[in-house]
Order: sequence, then C-alpha cells, then structure tokens
Amino acid sequence: MSEIRHSILFDEKRCIACVACTKACPSRAIRVRGGRVQVNADLCIDCGECIRACPHDAMSVRTSSPSDLKRFRHTVAIPSTTLYTQFGGDVRPSHLLHALTRIGFDSFYDMSWMCEMVGQALDAYLSECQDPWPKISVTCPAVIRLIQIRYPDLLPHLAPIESPRELTAKLIRRRVAQERGLPPEEIGIFYVTPCSAIMHSIIYPVGLEESYLDGAFSVAEVYGPLRMAMEEMGEASSSSATGFSPRGLGWAAAGGESAMMRNANTLTVNGVAEITHVFDRIEAGKFRSVDYIEAYICPEGCVSGPLLVEGWWRAKRNLREVISRLGRQASIQEEKTRKLFREHFFDLEEEVKARALRPIARDLKQAILRKREKEGLLALLPGKNCAACGAPDCATLAEDILEGDAVPEDCVFVKLDRLAGPSSARGGKASNDSRAKERPGPPGAAGPERDT
Amino acid sequence: MTQERPREDDVAGAPADVLYREAFRISGGDYEHGGEVAARVKAILKELGIDPACSRRLSIANFEAEMNVIMYAESADLVLEVAGDEVRVTVADRGPGIPDIGLAMQEGYSTATAEMRARGFGAGMGLPNMKRNTDRFEIESVVGGGTTLRYAVRIA
Repeated sequence: MSEIRHSILFDEKRCIACVACTKACPSRAIRVRGGRVQVNADLCIDCGECIRACPHDAMSVRTSSPSDLKRFRHTVAIPSTTLYTQFGGDVRPSHLLHALTRIGFDSFYDMSWMCEMVGQALDAYLSECQDPWPKISVTCPAVIRLIQIRYPDLLPHLAPIESPRELTAKLIRRRVAQERGLPPEEIGIFYVTPCSAIMHSIIYPVGLEESYLDGAFSVAEVYGPLRMAMEEMGEASSSSATGFSPRGLGWAAAGGESAMMRNANTLTVNGVAEITHVFDRIEAGKFRSVDYIEAYICPEGCVSGPLLVEGWWRAKRNLREVISRLGRQASIQEEKTRKLFREHFFDLEEEVKARALRPIARDLKQAILRKREKEGLLALLPGKNCAACGAPDCATLAEDILEGDAVPEDCVFVKLDRLAGPSSARGGKASNDSRAKERPGPPGAAGPERDT
Repeated sequence: MTQERPREDDVAGAPADVLYREAFRISGGDYEHGGEVAARVKAILKELGIDPACSRRLSIANFEAEMNVIMYAESADLVLEVAGDEVRVTVADRGPGIPDIGLAMQEGYSTATAEMRARGFGAGMGLPNMKRNTDRFEIESVVGGGTTLRYAVRIA
C-alpha cells in the first residue's frame, strides 16, 4: 500500500457498513469487509464521491484547523469562486469577502481575475501547442489523478498551465510580504475549497513540488460563520463591487473555461461516466478535431463540489445572477497576460507522471491464466452487482478473490446456494461446473466450513 | 453490445502460437454501440498487461474497423488473437465490398454519406490510418460479398 495520505477521513462510529460509498467510488477503491470500510490508498483519487454518497456522514475531509491560522503572523483567505454561489443570487461578492475577515482571516483575495488570466494564457497556449490533441484541462485534481492511475497514455494531453488557485497564492504571497514587510513564510494562505480533491492537491500537489497554499477550509465549514458575519455587518459596510472578473467567475461552473477560448474547439465533460466514455475514445485516437477538453469529476463542475452547501441546480442560477449583477468590469489586459505567459509564469513546474499500480501478472501467460480464472469466478457469481459482499460489483469481487482478499462465500447468493447443497435447483449459475472446477471435491460439503 | 456475440474463448483451431482468442460481433448501422467493441478489446489488452503503446495503436485501428462495419456493412466478426510476439485482429464483414482497394487506401478518399459526415466520420482517413498504426495490414475484398481486414501490432 502506498504512503499517500489522503484528504478523506472515515469515522468508524458513524459508519453502519452499508455499501453506499463502495458503489459510489469511481476508482473502485472502497470495500466494506467485516463491518469496516477499507480504502485502497493506491486507487483513491480524493474525488469526494463517497462523502456525497454516505447517508450517515461517516466520510469527511481533513481540512485545516483554526489553530493552523495561529502559526502565521498574517493570514489570507482565497475563496473558490464557488463561494459566491452559496448565498443566493443577490449576495455581493465584496460583502462576502469582507465577512471573511470577521471569521478569523486577516485579509482576503478574490481569484476571479486570475481565472480570467489563466483563461487567456490557455488561449495563448492552445494557439501554439503541438500534438497530441485534444489538450485536457488540469483544473480538476481528481481528473488528473484518474489520468495518472487509469489513463497514463493521456498524460501528454494535459495542458501544462497551472490552476488559478495556486497562481493566485504564488502571486499574493509576494505581494502581501512586500506590503506588510513580512517574511513570506510568515504569511498563511488558505483556500476555501468546494472539494476534497483540491484539499488533497494542497497536501500532495501534482505538477508542482510544493503547494503555494498553506491549507484549506471547506465551504461547508465556513458557511455558517460567514452567514452570521454578513448579517452582523449589515448592508452599508461593504464597498462597491469592483475588481471582480465576471468571465473568471464563470469558472465556478462547467463550461466556464471553454467560454474563454476564442480560437479553440472545446468540449466540456462532466462526471465519471462521461469522462470514461470520452477518455477511452481519446486513447483510441478519436476526438482529434477537439482542441481542448474541460473535464470535471463532479456532475456540473466545481459548483457541484461535495463540500458545498447549496444544491448545484440553485448554485448555478445564483452564479448567473451574481455575474449579471456585476455588470461590466474592466477586463484583464491581454498583453500583460501574454508577457507573463512568455515568461513561463503559468507553466506547471513539474511533469505529471503516471501513478503506477502493482502489475497484476508477471507475464502474458500468467495474465491469460488469471483472466480465465476471473471468467470462471464471474460465471459463479450472480451478476447482480448488489455490493452486499462489500465490493462494488461482481467483477471487482472476482478480482478480490483472485488477490486472496475475499472468498466466493462473501457473496450472499453463492453462500445461500452452498448452504442449500448441490441438489438445490434454485442456484442457477451458482451450481454450475465452474464451481466444481474452482474447488475439487463435492462442492456442497466444502462450502460452509470455509466461511470466515 | 449485441446479444449474438459468439464466444470463442478457447484457442482451438487458431494458429499454434495463439495464446488468447476472443471474437466479437459488430452489427451494421448500430451507431448506438459504436466503439464498444474497440473499447472492450482495449480493456482485455490492458488486463493481459500488453504494452500501452501497442494497445493504443491497435485500438486506433480497431475503432476505425468497427466504425467502417457500422457505416457500410451488414455485420462482421472481429477476432482478437494474442500471440507471444504480436496481437492480431481479423475483421471479416458481410457487406458491399470495396471495388477499388487502391483508391480506398488513398488519404481523403471517402464514400461517406452526409449523415456519416455529420457524425464526424467519413474524412477518408480510415484505412490509411489503420495501416499507419499497425505493423502488418492486409485487405481483401469481394464486391457484393464482403471485406476482410487482417492486421497486427508487434508486442514491444
């Protein structure tokens, strides 16, 4: 097992060992065995689908704690642009930002302008980059990790432009240090995150040796305090809404990046099912006429992140309203962005590498043998994908059995069938000869004793 | 996936060096499932630990072959054979056949209809693209009978 420490925490006391998380995990990293949840750290991509799926709140995210703020002489909050979508359509972004200083941060920075700059940089990159097409966005860290694990062939497709959150932190650390006359390391920069994937990317960055962010809090945990602070502040206290980028705010929802690409043929892909479909085809050489793919593991982009409070159907509407209320704003000067682009300000600092998993077999012959064994097991299992065994589906249980992590009797149907004995007519698939092949001797006699 | 997919898991009747063999049925006009056979073959190659570069090149050819069957033929059987040193694919269709193979192998030549083009196919790159991505490529065709493609990619 890898040493990667993930951002998702599991609370055994709340868990009732149902299989909601197992079934929701796009990486098939979760098993429920012996009444306990086990997560394969090699496979977890920190997407947070388990947090969303758990009806008992047993999954949560390891965020920063208020005591982390005390380690720094000056703290800055950078809220994800999704924060502006959580308090109704008539919330003023500047009001919200000022409220951050009332809940424990010394100052704040809006990053919508950086989203606009990164959009311009991507547009510049797309106009001059080389094969292979299409390029794939690196905005969603869960998508990057999915590519590292399941689609290593697609790594050369990643657009090597850093995310707006990291670039904002990089830039404002310098700026705040100058303004306040403080050493950069005494400034704590904290993100307000809509998801576990970004939290994990701060602890274990990809494309970057070390994150420019010092930690993060979830939108859900600052939501209550922020709401109270805004009420206390009243209407008059905040300044007018300037300095926001409406185009950058659009990045909060899927399609926001693509809307900024003027000369590129773009495609927005949301959720694991769509991603799998499209990525499988990119691997097969399709989609070459598309220049840029904006992909999010969440169903509607960041605005549907697992750590948000507002339902995304409303958050999306709020976002449109907030943007239209901002009206016309001065846009970022493109020459400035182009200059920074040429100076490699936006570049990913490190190459994104494949995250290799254990090879399943030593050589081709062994792999074929293993595949046959798996097919034999699949013939034995009912194919209902009920997950009652604790694996997400029958195919995964078959793999677990081959690995020695499970036994066929973990399947309730197999177990029932074996308890009923070999003469039972009920079993259907479960009484066929693949079982006899799997275990020599009279099958009915050996069954129950092997239960553990 | 079509229901009538024949299963030929055993390697009986295949050349002696074939270690793994599986056949798939592709139905003409079945745009709904277009690309699924190629995706399944790719998943099998991954499961067998075939080098990703090799599997990618073969998948490009498989996808083209599959779409050709869907667009032009009645049906076809795609047979995957994994040998120790190469992965072979045979796609034998029942279809109109190709009158002039030399012309069909030219880049940009296409008989695709407007509907096919609207779906993003028919750029006339299919057969040349398959040849480019494989280490061995043979094509045989009988007008009014069908077309058989045989291609292979060496395992690195």
